[in-house]
Amino acid sequence: MKRLIVIAAMAWASLGVAMAQDFSEGSEAKPWNLNGEEKARFTAKVVDVLCELSGDCADNCGEGRRQLGLVRDADDALMIVMKNGQPVFSGAVADLLPYCNQAVEVDGLLVGEGLPAKLYQVQRIRAVDGEWAKTNRFTKDWGKAYPDEAKLKGPWFRKDPRVTSRIAAEGYLGLGLEIDAAFIEEEFGE
Amino acid sequence: MKTIGRALAVAVCLSWTVSASAATPERVQITGEIIDTWCYFSGVMGGPDAVVGSAHHTCALWCAAGGIPVGVLADDGTVYMVLKLESEDHVAGGGTIMDLQSDRITADGLLYERDGLKYLVVEEVVSNEGITNPNHEDYGPVPPFAIPDPNKK
Repeated sequence: MKRLIVIAAMAWASLGVAMAQDFSEGSEAKPWNLNGEEKARFTAKVVDVLCELSGDCADNCGEGRRQLGLVRDADDALMIVMKNGQPVFSGAVADLLPYCNQAVEVDGLLVGEGLPAKLYQVQRIRAVDGEWAKTNRFTKDWGKAYPDEAKLKGPWFRKDPRVTSRIAAEGYLGLGLEIDAAFIEEEFGE
Repeated sequence: MKTIGRALAVAVCLSWTVSASAATPERVQITGEIIDTWCYFSGVMGGPDAVVGSAHHTCALWCAAGGIPVGVLADDGTVYMVLKLESEDHVAGGGTIMDLQSDRITADGLLYERDGLKYLVVEEVVSNEGITNPNHEDYGPVPPFAIPDPNKK
């Protein structure tokens, strides 16, 4: 009977049911009122998701080019990290990259409803037993990458040349400048 | 009892096999819209029908430039996280992936699945129909400030 219980427990664990665990203990994550939001603080390893899944690896997790994720210690679950802690359309690669392939503790929000697995927003991160750092590196790195634009007034996403060049070519709606102009006239015209 | 034990043992072996083979890719062809996955899943900007298409195009550009993961929203509602695009691994803020924002594409590539999520290594964009969902007609710009009011200087 004991053996049966052990086998059943192993079957349960290997089916990935551990993903339903509660990781909220000790979390100081701020609420964002997102779909299915749950506080989650846990230890994990920072990984290059492409490398982790396919074996196609790059030096230093791709140096910021690739999407990064966390493999959680508690259940070996891989989570792609969607967002950093800044409310400015910014991802988390810059915040995770300094910890490439290292053990970390993270605090943030699990997000999503009706999904087989929730997605993660990281709000703070530290090397295990290190000092916590807020996940706000994106705008600092952006300012270094685009020093001239950073001097201009307004948030980064209004000034980023990758964005502004595409809007200049195809419009805010992406449907061409003619449709854009007609819509703007209808939306904002007097 | 022995039969139950054997059945459970087989179940364990099968589940381990599934787990072990999760890294083995499947060749797939996916048709759908290139989307900003954060807005789509989090609901931060509104419901799923509002955070796609032309209504959300500017926000999708912002999020892609910000390095937020980009996905393909297939016609059956499945979202595939894009990890590589035609030999280009710069999918966190790269120009190639920004060029495809909000477009309806057909992608040929390798599918990886792990822990409930699907990941796509796009080997070839077979076709690109451009933006086919003019939902700004229903939702306006999403978020509303995506298009600056020209009357406010």
